[in-house]
Amino acid sequence: MKFEYKHLLRSMWAICWKDIKLYYAKGPIVVTGVLFPIFLWIAFYAGKSLGLKEGLASLMTLTLFFTASSVTPIIAPWETRQRTLEMLLSRPITVTTMLMGDILASTIFGLIFTMPPVVVGLFLGVLPSNILFTVFVVLLTALGFSSLGIIFSALPTDTPADAVLLSSSIKLPLIFVSGVLVPITQLPSWILPVTLISPLTYPTDFLRTQYMGSGFLPWWVDLVATIMFTFVFTIAALRLHKKTILIRLQRR
Amino acid sequence: MDAIEALDLHKRFGTVVAVEGVSFQIGEGEIFGFLGPNGAGKTTTIRMLTGILKPDRGKARIMGYDVNRSPVEAKMLVGVVPEEANPYPDLSAWDNLVLVGRLYGLSRSHIEEKASRLLRLLDLYEIRERKAKNLSKGLRQKLLVAMALINDPKVLFLDEPTGGLDVLSARKIRELILELKKSGITTFLTTHNVEEAGALCDRIAIIKAGHVVELGSPEELKIKAGAYTYVSVSFDRIEEGCDLSFLEPFEYKLQGSRLLIVCSRPADVIVETVEYARARGLKILDIKISPPTLEDVFVKVAKGE
Repeated sequence: MKFEYKHLLRSMWAICWKDIKLYYAKGPIVVTGVLFPIFLWIAFYAGKSLGLKEGLASLMTLTLFFTASSVTPIIAPWETRQRTLEMLLSRPITVTTMLMGDILASTIFGLIFTMPPVVVGLFLGVLPSNILFTVFVVLLTALGFSSLGIIFSALPTDTPADAVLLSSSIKLPLIFVSGVLVPITQLPSWILPVTLISPLTYPTDFLRTQYMGSGFLPWWVDLVATIMFTFVFTIAALRLHKKTILIRLQRR
Repeated sequence: MDAIEALDLHKRFGTVVAVEGVSFQIGEGEIFGFLGPNGAGKTTTIRMLTGILKPDRGKARIMGYDVNRSPVEAKMLVGVVPEEANPYPDLSAWDNLVLVGRLYGLSRSHIEEKASRLLRLLDLYEIRERKAKNLSKGLRQKLLVAMALINDPKVLFLDEPTGGLDVLSARKIRELILELKKSGITTFLTTHNVEEAGALCDRIAIIKAGHVVELGSPEELKIKAGAYTYVSVSFDRIEEGCDLSFLEPFEYKLQGSRLLIVCSRPADVIVETVEYARARGLKILDIKISPPTLEDVFVKVAKGE
């Protein structure tokens, strides 16, 4: 049993190392991960004379969302096309280990790029009220968004553009209804039910509570919802891939 | 203990039966050829044996480990070169080996030592920093073989390892397979090069439409399939229309002063032909025997003859 866990962790780390080398440590990905959320945030917050405190929660969630779920949708289709997937799966790893390695790499990527706004906030004296809880939720959110990206890649295709199209068509609406760019209290009341099913709503609201002292929902509701979304996304990602991996291999 | 056991393997994709009731046992150190026409079920069988596909029915075991119940333990003992697989194109040859070594849980020093040795063995050491996408097909294939050997496997699965390679690269891989046999490694080889299988393998199974239709040593298969030997006898002179009925029931043909016989017992036929020539004062200038090829057997089996 001890060997199994040790091997599982080593294999996950090997996959993570491969992903970072192949997909994340690339100029365009780094630039997109940094610039895209910042520009989107500026587009909504500029001119509203809001301080960093008001916008930090949104910027952190946006960065996590755009970084952690940006590359994962293309890994499986790309590796199917490159004919490296079967080579990988014939090694002593399971589909679950492979995906957990992908999720780990994506989570690390998301966390690294969320650091700059947090550090800037620290220097300016903008601190969350509970640092441990905040770190926990940021970590969970990165994990959840990485798994969400993996769900998109479960589409049994060898064309990365198919997964990206699916990913974009779901991700963008989720941002606009989640209260990331416009606070939930300012959204029209008819959109509220949709807001509550967006996985971005809860970490944003939680971080807002942490940085500003109050949010739309009680902090514990945000915490439980974030845990649930992360759990559901991770399980769904693993199950969907187990179902579609053979269809994917047969296509080659 | 058998190195590989396939026990009544079945696999169906929708309404298509890919593999039905495939069984065989392969001993340690054996080179086992798995031949069949396209779509016969070779790759599906390999995928079940290597734990990539779950059989609908039946069991696959590697060195006693059930591939489905203990996939990691079974795969730890195996090296695989899958059909038409690639190393990671954007990783260097060295990094590809490091990745695979890590997946087997090898230590850094072990990976470095083993990777250097394999790269040297396969003449890839000088280009170890080159990205796999910049390697020729032959070099990529050799890299895949090196990746399959990084963990010192007990069982090696090679799916078309020499397909599309130049003569030198293909020979290098064939020599390596024979070297590995000396170290006790079991090799499961699929190839479209029937003569290559005949030259390398201790035993061969031929699969057709999901069923193993022949199994045995190359020589046994030739005998079992009733493959014929071609005998050509050249005389100094021979009359056309002479009575050669002693050759029946075998097929024969007279081409000028050369007699061509297609038979299953060449020794008997040659003795009888020599006696015939002696009785008629004919001088035999040359006798040529062309043994049956495995390709003849394969064609017969593939055509269902």
